[in-house]
Amino acid sequence: MSDARFVNQRMVGSSVIPDEAIPLVEGDGRFLNDIKLPGMYHVAFLRSQHAHARLIAVDASEARKLPGVIKVLTGQELLGKVDPFRSMPNRFSGGESIQHWLAVDKVRFCGEAICAVVAEDRATAEDAVDLIKVDYDPLPAVTDPRLGELDGAPLVHEACANNYLIKREYERGNVDEIFRDAHTVVKRKFKIGRKQALCLEGRGCVAGYRENTFTLTVWMSHQLPYVVRHYLAKHLRMAETDVRVIIPHTGGGFGQKASIYPEEFVCAHLALTLRRPVKWVEDRIENMVASTHARDQTIELELAADKDGHILAISSDIWVDVGAYSTYLWSAGMEPLQTAGLMPGPYRIGAMRYRTRGVATNKTPVGPYRAVGRPSASASLELLIDEMARKLKLDPVEVRLRNLISEEAMPYRSANNLVHDNVNYIPCLKLSVLKSDYDRQRAEQREALASGKLRGIGVACFAELTGLGTSTAVGPGTLLQPGRDAATLRLETSGVLTIAAALPSQGQRIMTAMRQVASDELGIKLEDITSITNDTATAPYGFGTFASRTAVFGSGAVIMAARELRKRLLAMAAFLLKVPVEDLTIVNSVIQTVDRSRSISLRDMAEKSYFSAKDIPQELNQGFEVTSFYDPKFGSFAAGAHVVVVDVDPKTGHVEIVRYVATEDVGTVINPAVVEGQIVGGIAQGIGEALLEELVYDDAGQPRTVTLADYLIPSALEIPRIELHHANTPSAALGGFKGCGEGSIIGALGAVACAISDALSRKGGDIHSFPATPERVLKGLGVLPGDA
Amino acid sequence: MAREQQIKLTVNGRSYEKTVPARLSLADFLRDHLHLTGTHLGCEHGVCGACTISMNGRSARSCLALAVQADGAEIVTIEGLRAEDGTRHPMQQLFLENFALQCGYCTPGFLITAIELLRDNPKPTEHEVREAISGNLCRCSGYQAIVDAILAASRLELA
Repeated sequence: MSDARFVNQRMVGSSVIPDEAIPLVEGDGRFLNDIKLPGMYHVAFLRSQHAHARLIAVDASEARKLPGVIKVLTGQELLGKVDPFRSMPNRFSGGESIQHWLAVDKVRFCGEAICAVVAEDRATAEDAVDLIKVDYDPLPAVTDPRLGELDGAPLVHEACANNYLIKREYERGNVDEIFRDAHTVVKRKFKIGRKQALCLEGRGCVAGYRENTFTLTVWMSHQLPYVVRHYLAKHLRMAETDVRVIIPHTGGGFGQKASIYPEEFVCAHLALTLRRPVKWVEDRIENMVASTHARDQTIELELAADKDGHILAISSDIWVDVGAYSTYLWSAGMEPLQTAGLMPGPYRIGAMRYRTRGVATNKTPVGPYRAVGRPSASASLELLIDEMARKLKLDPVEVRLRNLISEEAMPYRSANNLVHDNVNYIPCLKLSVLKSDYDRQRAEQREALASGKLRGIGVACFAELTGLGTSTAVGPGTLLQPGRDAATLRLETSGVLTIAAALPSQGQRIMTAMRQVASDELGIKLEDITSITNDTATAPYGFGTFASRTAVFGSGAVIMAARELRKRLLAMAAFLLKVPVEDLTIVNSVIQTVDRSRSISLRDMAEKSYFSAKDIPQELNQGFEVTSFYDPKFGSFAAGAHVVVVDVDPKTGHVEIVRYVATEDVGTVINPAVVEGQIVGGIAQGIGEALLEELVYDDAGQPRTVTLADYLIPSALEIPRIELHHANTPSAALGGFKGCGEGSIIGALGAVACAISDALSRKGGDIHSFPATPERVLKGLGVLPGDA
Repeated sequence: MAREQQIKLTVNGRSYEKTVPARLSLADFLRDHLHLTGTHLGCEHGVCGACTISMNGRSARSCLALAVQADGAEIVTIEGLRAEDGTRHPMQQLFLENFALQCGYCTPGFLITAIELLRDNPKPTEHEVREAISGNLCRCSGYQAIVDAILAASRLELA
């Protein structure tokens, strides 16, 4: 039982200003590139200029002669010394891909690393890269998954017939029969471009040799310190106890820093063999071609409904361009399997069928990025629901209200086998409708249309499965079940509490959140609690930060550890104060009797326990240090409903968002201002996805978008003011928490897409491909020729 | 052209005389030679604004300038925003209080840009704020909290 009622003010629910942000605002952040070690070398990579080619010869003799160059490492030299990345086994695998850390024999995408140059400084390393001569024998490139899956297409990997890295068919219910008998059937296609997480800070690492007591210490801009440690040890054939991984301040992650990549592993190998620290920092062009891409789905979706607009079944066909390799750890199944499997979203859908494939192409591999699969799945279904609504002459809000899973229907098992419970789908939509004054928006839309302005309104509802426990695989089809994380609570000799957990932050303020939770659980003042989350040498085991899990796992483990620690604290206090343990409580870092007649501060007790323990029975003095693991077993659904109003300029194709109202259910909120930042930031990325962001390749597999001048992310001018509301309901997880990191990006793509489609439909147009660039909008209006 | 050159400049109120490679960027000079790592590099071609510093009273992209171009210049970086007694600049404080940063990588550039904006236009509208910071990219925040922090700073001057 929580004794939070004895605390003067609950910290959970308060917008506590995060101490952890102070160094960042004062210019004292320590990001990867800020780390320097004595005698440190610098690494630069030679990268493939071709999308697909045989490597005939690599001549580094000139590079090796350049003063300041220490070593040029090739893929051949690594053979047999380290273990390459074999694609993670997946039940739905189409064949194995093997990724050498440095290319051997073949290159399979532009930007694939071929050589690593080690030099005294980065500029010299880059100079040397330019001196390496590579003899390529170009091969036909696969750049379109619809062509790549055809018989006779060039193969990216010999072991993957028809270039399938992933393939799955699924059916629940008699879908054919339902479609045959349905009153209404609607169908449409949906395409979303290839995109990039675009962390402002790229990847990077410093690998140190024999720092402190560890053979290998790696500082890495990454989200999963223990996972990195495990795989470094495995692939370098070391004991993992000889490896320490430290995560410095990290300039954005969004899933891009949750995969295992070759470059950092090459650096670790170099540090071990050169017996010197080495550093590699990804520059922007490298980041655009060598860090995972995302999305790039083609979806053909059909929906069967009755005459009242109730969805009876959905059926989809999905192609994902997953790039050249199965992304290490997660496999190539992330986008293909999640896009297909999570298609039903928050709706009552009793029957579904899909055929989905991840087709290998000669492009940068696709990996996890914020809300994997769901934005495309959700947007395609939302667009189709609107189409059904138009056909049945129903309002988009009304048709959604008829299909959302109601609270009365919960727990509800959807056709994809996921159980929805403790989640407010309908209240979210109703609140967004109310707050946006939806009916007035429709009236104003009619007025705008009458006066020649092209205005559209989009409504999108979504479900977001967060905080996944061990019973729900994060990487579908794989054995990865990272649903169990630990926190260690330790009362230091001064009475200050340290929370340690391997849950590094990329700005989510997880340290602050865990401090708030611990403060309420233990009655310890917030300023007496500190936290460490980034170091395998000091934090207990945990999977790290991804998949909207950190607040759920960090808080759950903190609550469990706090309960045990509380018992120990009160037991010792009872002994020292000679009162029954039931009479004691902890308030403001002091243990006191309920009548306040006797008390001892945590500081005094910690000092006694550590320094003057002579008279304390040993069984009472087992240390004020507790580690607990938390596994919520299942996930918790978060939810939201967004209402967006856009104006489309029919002459230029420009889309302007004039109103954005979002309501979300993110469970019990720990820090409202932090949560708001997560949601608004997610919406901004979703708006970028809907309007701007697209990685473009030519037919030969050459990337055309390798700078921030070509690949556009939203600036402050493209993002409107977001009006945010809550319809929260606690989850079944400890503390009632849900994840809030990803949901909003799902709603943003769907709502903006629906708003644009709504606007275009008023002029008989439509749009199927996103982002909705001005060119595509004009095509959708028939102003420009071609398919939108 | 000489491979190295001597430069003399003031950074955060302190004078420096250094010999630097001609090809060294101002950002790398600040970070690697003066150890002022608060200035961050996000794109190295002048788009993202993370490396924005103040040079002779105007905001400038330190990734696009060479160190030798800063000869004789007066430069302020994020490390120079605090008062001598260590008190945070009001803009730093308001970024903190408004939750205007998440990962914090873009923050140094935003602070410099925001301070310049309010110097030139003490009472900007929300649109003017958005316009002024449109050359600085933030991937985490959706800009709303940053805009609010700057608007809060503009109101502060009234008091």
